[in-house]
Amino acid sequence: MTQTDNSVTARSPRRTRWSATDLGLIAVFAALVAASALVAAIPVGGLGVPITVQTLAVMLTGLALGPGRAFAAVGLYVLLGIAGLPIFSGGRSGPGILATPSAGYIIAFPLAAAAAGWLAVVVLRRTAARSGKIRGVLLFAAAMVSSIIFVHTLGVLGMMVNAKLSLSAAFLADLPFYPGDIIKNVLAVSIALSLHKAFPDLLLRRVRKADVRL
Amino acid sequence: MSGHSLLLASYVPGTSVVHRSPLWLKFLLVLGCGMASFLIADWAVAAGVLALMCGVFLLSGAGASRLVRAVRPLLPVLLAIGLFQWWQLGAPTAARIVLNVLVCVVAASILTATTPVQALLDGVASLAGPFRRFGADPERFALTIAIMLRSIPFIAGAYAGVRDSARARGLERNPRALVLPVFITTVAFARQTGEALAARGLGEADDLDD
Repeated sequence: MTQTDNSVTARSPRRTRWSATDLGLIAVFAALVAASALVAAIPVGGLGVPITVQTLAVMLTGLALGPGRAFAAVGLYVLLGIAGLPIFSGGRSGPGILATPSAGYIIAFPLAAAAAGWLAVVVLRRTAARSGKIRGVLLFAAAMVSSIIFVHTLGVLGMMVNAKLSLSAAFLADLPFYPGDIIKNVLAVSIALSLHKAFPDLLLRRVRKADVRL
Repeated sequence: MSGHSLLLASYVPGTSVVHRSPLWLKFLLVLGCGMASFLIADWAVAAGVLALMCGVFLLSGAGASRLVRAVRPLLPVLLAIGLFQWWQLGAPTAARIVLNVLVCVVAASILTATTPVQALLDGVASLAGPFRRFGADPERFALTIAIMLRSIPFIAGAYAGVRDSARARGLERNPRALVLPVFITTVAFARQTGEALAARGLGEADDLDD
């Protein structure tokens, strides 16, 4: 990407300074998550079951940018939504969102994006020589694991804290989101693979570069 | 949707006492209500606090219709929770849970209705200040916020455009055709933005390795 990348080491992300392109990616992907929360749901399949694009955009940010930049992008989105921009789903905004039952999902977004990004980097590094199919399956597993560990767990926790639901009731309330999540993660992986094919310097070349040095 | 309407979000201009009180005070109010929602154990107290918060909101001159608009998206969920908890835990507890959430939401709308979004964003950007010693860069942080704000209308427009072209090709039921072009546009737009920043000497980290 830029020459400064050569000074970047994969081992010490804390010392990494993001380049101007990284800043652009972080800002525009944060805007992408915001815009995805505002557009209407898209129809899927023959029956046209509508799914919202927001969690798709969150997971894709992780798969496309890798852990650090994805956390920054989705974290920026959450921060500005809490600060009062009407960018949460349904045009909601402000710190009041933290008191609603959906608070857990919102807090989970940056963590899930970072986890998906971290796992994606591991998968991309390990499957450098393999066929695209294995890579796709493993990326799907990465996205699923991160969304179960973070989005669903924190979502259930949020409903327990803010709506005082019992664990089993909160779990049941969260259950209907699973089928949509599976569809979204399949879609996210297929789009992420196309993105990496179209823009190899987005994440793939970084991963390989780090690989050579390790 | 334009970027302008986004910045006007829920702000209602005015000169009331609430408008003139400092940002940190209103923030403390929101934080206090958040804490209180865990401590209030009696639904009557919760109802009293909610009435007080609604009073403060109306004092700001934002109007009752704004108040309704701030709460309305939540009502179906709160109704469902209220009914479920009524069945599970009884009416007083259910009322307390629902009222406590409403207290927090109304308190938060007091903050967002009486503070211009620009002031709120400046408040967020200044949060980076104390982290300067850990490598945070408040200027780059503020710049990133500004780029994000500018990009939201562009990407919302990309979604609309892609939807139109998918419909023209008879692909409006194909989620990949509806979403992938938006992401390609996004990445390309982000890289153009990065190049434009670099060309102007903006956004690059200082080489001082302090």
